[in-house]
Amino acid sequence: MLRVEHLTKVYPNGTVALRDISFEVSDGEFLVVIGLSGSGKSTLLRCINRLIEPTSGKIYWNDIDITNASPSEVRRIRRQIGMIFQQFNLVKRSSVLTNVLSGRLGYANPWLSLLGVWPAEDRQKALRALERVGIADKANQRADTLSGGQQQRVGIARALMQDPRLLLADEPVASLDPVLAHSILQYLEQLNKEGVTIICSLHFLDLVHRYATRVIGLKDGVKVFDGLPTEIDRARFKEIYGEEAQEVRAASL
Amino acid sequence: MMMKNADHLMRLRRVFTQVIGIVVIALALYASVQVTQPDFVKLVIAAPKARQVLRELLAPDLFTRESEVMTVGVALPVPCDSAPEDQKAITGPRLEVAPGCAAERETVLVRGRELGKGVPVALRWRLPDGNTLGIQRLVTDAKGNFEVRVQVRPIVATKGGQPARIEAEVTLPGGRLAPSQALRDVIDAMFVTVFMALLATTLGTFLAVPLSFLAASNITRRGRLGALVYYLVRTFLNLIRSYEPLVMATIFALIVGFGSPFAGILALVVVTTASLGKMFSESIESIDTGPIEAISATGANRAQVIMYGVVPQILPDFLSFTIYHWDINVRISTIIGFVGGGGIGDYLSKRINAFEYSKAGTALLAIILVVWALDFLSAQIRKKLV
Repeated sequence: MLRVEHLTKVYPNGTVALRDISFEVSDGEFLVVIGLSGSGKSTLLRCINRLIEPTSGKIYWNDIDITNASPSEVRRIRRQIGMIFQQFNLVKRSSVLTNVLSGRLGYANPWLSLLGVWPAEDRQKALRALERVGIADKANQRADTLSGGQQQRVGIARALMQDPRLLLADEPVASLDPVLAHSILQYLEQLNKEGVTIICSLHFLDLVHRYATRVIGLKDGVKVFDGLPTEIDRARFKEIYGEEAQEVRAASL
Repeated sequence: MMMKNADHLMRLRRVFTQVIGIVVIALALYASVQVTQPDFVKLVIAAPKARQVLRELLAPDLFTRESEVMTVGVALPVPCDSAPEDQKAITGPRLEVAPGCAAERETVLVRGRELGKGVPVALRWRLPDGNTLGIQRLVTDAKGNFEVRVQVRPIVATKGGQPARIEAEVTLPGGRLAPSQALRDVIDAMFVTVFMALLATTLGTFLAVPLSFLAASNITRRGRLGALVYYLVRTFLNLIRSYEPLVMATIFALIVGFGSPFAGILALVVVTTASLGKMFSESIESIDTGPIEAISATGANRAQVIMYGVVPQILPDFLSFTIYHWDINVRISTIIGFVGGGGIGDYLSKRINAFEYSKAGTALLAIILVVWALDFLSAQIRKKLV
């Protein structure tokens, strides 16, 4: 279970990205976070695995205080929390297999991994992860030779290597075609059914309805909605997205 | 009306600015002519003087024929009857002298026969005491013959029944081509230069890598201390970069001695460190932070993040810059020899000072070839890397 209490993040330049956010996520939920670009979705996800240091507030992960953890504790917590990104964040010049193996770094022998030496079982595991996302044949290609959809699948395989209990997905399909978006989200749905808790930020209303078990809406760093996907209709969606949505309509007139 | 006036003023101002600009440039050009005193007339008049130098430079001393030397001779009793005349040969390479004997101060006709076409001949006296006395150098005609009148001087008189002989030393062609001494020296010096550059590049790279991380704003410029280190290292790199390698080599040559490759290596190391440090740091600053974020998120430690997230991104750049700089260093080190840095430049400057332009030409040719080959090679390798 993940518990966020009064989470606030103020950047050094004075931008308030998150303002007193509190919520809980039960194990096995598929939580979707919606909101405009700049509403604080990415900051929220990154506070959970402390890629970004919160300014104040607490985050508990199975009753461990993430916000107070020492660097080595943070690393131990991080390895149970997978993360995938809008821009995939693969090391473009490394092979697909190396990218996937790097998901195992938190468990690997620190010295051997620095030399690029991996135990056979980790290699097997990486190949199985790639098989699972349907691109085992690409294992030895450079990551940047793959298409966007394939790169995101490598990103998922990398997260799978962590045996994650929680998966953070920051706009995982915003850079992909709608058709590909479904194929990627179906992998997340599958993982969710296997018991992995998912926190995912999304942009499209139909995707929210299709995949979420619960939705949180952010606007200017404030939580403005917390409920079931069925409670969100067009009007509610526009409320969360505010003037921007109206501007888009005005521009199209 | 107001608008029109303002418009007019604007245009006037622009014209005024342009005129001022042209005047400033003209003044600067005039000043530079005054200061440097170029003499184009002299350049044109003196141009023919350079012709001989150029001709030698363009005919580099590369190969020598391993020539075969043949000596033929004929005895010439002076005065007549002081010694027997030689049996006259009828065929084969031979010298004939007419008349077969002579008195002092007479003139005899010396003919060379069947010596080989157009070959150089050194004609000389072999005196009775075994010493030689040069007569003249000449070249045989298209049939392999020559004819020359030789005056008989008192010194060639027969001594103790032993007549003086006229000898022709013929340098025959047809020997194998072999690298000339100059070519061998140039190759040796070129090896020195290339390895000098290689050593300097390697040392410079080792120094540049840590400095480049310190001079990369995304790595170092954090907090007050970080910013201080960042600016100090940056300033240091920029400062050394503003000194020409030539100046640097002169200074080091004063310290460790002229003509030793070590001075050149030291200068190149400093130059390489500064320039690669700057290039590396810019490469580090331009890396994609996404992968670093992703790998940190897996629970990797700092060293693992650098090894898996940073190194793959910068390695091709680093290798490519390093190879490129080796190429540059070979080029610089050819020049550095002039100020006492050793290697091919040292050889070149010595040959020029000794007016041995065709040997200098050999060095120039070698420099052109090696620089071209390295340029090509480094371009190929870099293409593979990026």
